[in-house]
Amino acid sequence: MFDIISKTKYAYIFSITLTVLSVISLFVWGLKFGIDFTGGTLAEVQFANSVPTNQELEDTLKDLGLKSLTLQPTANNSVLIRYASEDDKINQEVSQKISGSYPGAKELRADFINSSVSQELKKNSLWAIIIAILGIMAYIAWAFRKVSRPVESWKYGLGAVIALVHDVLITIGVFAVLGHFAGIEVGVPFIAALLTILGFSVHDTIVVYDRTRENLLRSSAKEQFPEIVNRSLNETLVRSINTSLTVLLTLLAIYIFGGETIRDFSLALLVGVFFGTYSSIFIATALLVTSYKFQIAKK
Amino acid sequence: MNIHQKTRIKFASVILLGVLAGLVAYPQAVSKIPPVFNALNKLKINLGLDLQGGIHLEYKADTSQIDGGKVDDAMQALQDVIERRVNAFGVAEPVVYTTKTGSDRRLVVELAGVKDINQAKEMIKATPFLEFKEEGPDQQIPQDVLDKFNADAKKKAEGILKKALAVGSDFSALAKENSEDPGSKDKGGDLDFVKKGAFVPEFDKVLFDPSFKDGAVWTQLVETQFGWHIIKKIEQRGDGDNLEIHSAHILIAKKTNPATAQKNYVSTGLTGKNLKNAAVEFQNQGLSEPQVALQFDSEGTKLFADLTKKNLQKTIAIYLDGQIVSAPRVQAEITNGQAVITGNFTVDEAKLLVRNLNEGALPVPINLISQQSVEASLGQISLQKSLKAGLIGLLVVMLFMIIYYRFLGIIASVALLIYAALMVSIFKLSAFSPWQITLTLPGIAGFILSIGMAVDANILIFERTKEEIRRGRHILGAVEEGFKRAWTSIRDGNVSSIITSLILINMGTGFVKGFAVTLVIGVLVSMFTAVVITRTILRFVMGEWIEDKLWLIGVDKSKIKNQNAK
Repeated sequence: MFDIISKTKYAYIFSITLTVLSVISLFVWGLKFGIDFTGGTLAEVQFANSVPTNQELEDTLKDLGLKSLTLQPTANNSVLIRYASEDDKINQEVSQKISGSYPGAKELRADFINSSVSQELKKNSLWAIIIAILGIMAYIAWAFRKVSRPVESWKYGLGAVIALVHDVLITIGVFAVLGHFAGIEVGVPFIAALLTILGFSVHDTIVVYDRTRENLLRSSAKEQFPEIVNRSLNETLVRSINTSLTVLLTLLAIYIFGGETIRDFSLALLVGVFFGTYSSIFIATALLVTSYKFQIAKK
Repeated sequence: MNIHQKTRIKFASVILLGVLAGLVAYPQAVSKIPPVFNALNKLKINLGLDLQGGIHLEYKADTSQIDGGKVDDAMQALQDVIERRVNAFGVAEPVVYTTKTGSDRRLVVELAGVKDINQAKEMIKATPFLEFKEEGPDQQIPQDVLDKFNADAKKKAEGILKKALAVGSDFSALAKENSEDPGSKDKGGDLDFVKKGAFVPEFDKVLFDPSFKDGAVWTQLVETQFGWHIIKKIEQRGDGDNLEIHSAHILIAKKTNPATAQKNYVSTGLTGKNLKNAAVEFQNQGLSEPQVALQFDSEGTKLFADLTKKNLQKTIAIYLDGQIVSAPRVQAEITNGQAVITGNFTVDEAKLLVRNLNEGALPVPINLISQQSVEASLGQISLQKSLKAGLIGLLVVMLFMIIYYRFLGIIASVALLIYAALMVSIFKLSAFSPWQITLTLPGIAGFILSIGMAVDANILIFERTKEEIRRGRHILGAVEEGFKRAWTSIRDGNVSSIITSLILINMGTGFVKGFAVTLVIGVLVSMFTAVVITRTILRFVMGEWIEDKLWLIGVDKSKIKNQNAK
């Protein structure tokens, strides 16, 4: 039996450090938004022969006066072309210029989002996350309504949510770093990943809470709350680790073998699930004990 | 029925379900049994645009010029027009619909498998062509000319018949040289085996006449609506209702005027560019015959005056995009550029015509605001890669379960395979329901993720069961208890996943929606798999025999309390 609860101090330090670092990198670098949130055009053009250099392409497209043009060569003889755009007309012009100058060039992929749509996506994403967090909090408070002693049931909800927010913040922080150093962009799929992480992290946390609840109901008066929690943790430890392991394994399979269009998405999930497990084991329950101790200290 | 029998029946049903799901998911397994294979192979998963290639276009409709009440109608008209144009691309199943976002009206077009994306976009925005045409010269042939022609044809046929009946004649050579039936002429007039009723009655009567011998040529000309036939019977097979006769024929065609006189219309130069407006009006302020009121611009007014003067009491055809939309009769010469089209319209027909006429430009101007396009080859690559990832993920998870949980792990792996098969079957079978599921790339990711999560339920049950065994409980009791305790965790945990997935479905666009939908279905099906399938297999398989082989499931015998109690 591991004495996890007494080590919560270290867990708190670790988590708070990471969270603070994440928030800082978010403010300093911000997330690198893809066209989903900035609007604009992203096209992947495959060239028939050799790939023209970025300078060549820039010259070809010079007359069109493209704003925020970035060019990124990628696999399969292709180049990712990004530029700001409001109207589809400019896309037609770019298409024509390219197929005119480079016969045989194929447009593998072309995404265009104008700013009204991207504003909407930004708004919807934010709302989605807020609603998800509130919804989950409500659900947990309800599911654990019968265990109001010694810690009120809404505190279970709060504990789970804090663990949640911690997971999401760290994931976002990781992507702020990656965005700055590796140019990895964040779009609607990233939001989908965050919401999935929300769901998964809570799932995990609930299993531990559930065990705690069961042990509480069964416990004798002698056992202290922290001890019950610790025991519950130990009992669910193997299961938590195994489940996360299986999910991480499947995510790794996607990351390594899936197409590149889905790579960043699976990376976000990997980071989130990993921290989700960590927080369920070390943070969520620790919060319960901490609030219990506050209550005792107040009396 | 006692417990054992019940368990056995349930177990058998589970196996049956697994096999059925497996067959639907992977019909290649029964490729040796054609009828079953063909039926199953027809079920396909509906692939999203990012897996089969295609475009998703979203337009903002400018409804500022249209008054409030008419906006819905206008959007419907817009959808109809675009749908018509899009159908012309020959894409398998174009999807066109309008939506409301806030106060905006949007039009969405999804075309799978389109080859030229830019061309498609062009055609969607192009203006349809409205033309007014007048009747041209009659195409009817005078009757006496027809009669002479047909008499000559009959004489020719008689000549050929004589040749065909002559000894040593080569029917198929005669057919190749003379037959006017393009479908069989080059084959020597061969019509293959047919059953009664395949041909027109006159032909049939002769062909199936019992006195018509194999290899013989019918001694008389057979006249049908097509002309005169010389029929040779080659052979027959079967009998009664299944009688089939192999024959050949030589056709000398006759000419007739078509049953309904086809009017020949010619262009007049008056087109949609001259139309200012069209509206529905009612005669005599009542609900009597609706009519369509037209208003032309100045050039159109002049052209129309000429046109109507020339064609009094004749019909003028109105063509839209090359198709006749209406051919009303001209009642009077019209000089004020205002016309009324009458002629047995129902209110709906009148409304439809007005809508079509007003579409000189699109009923509502549209502007492209969002586009996602994936070229087919890229889609194909994504599909293959993700399937590979899925397979590997599945195998790795199964391996892990077997290594850690040993015997129980095998049970979990079986349940997992059934789960995967069930999911694929649901995707395929959803085509028959009103909510067909579209599998996108994120959807596949969601599916693979759900595999990892599906195992979780099993892990919960196993851990609990092992714990109960360690507490000294009897095997079957441990299984039941383990399941009962694990269920609340499974349920609560999955509910949270479902909540977030539902939110995603709500806010998501097509691609993200696909992910959320597969996740939700995955979670629900995995709950079912855990509750029904794993439990049934466990109940069936676990029994007294495990007691002394606890190493099979990874329980250390020495850790069990109360070894004496059972």
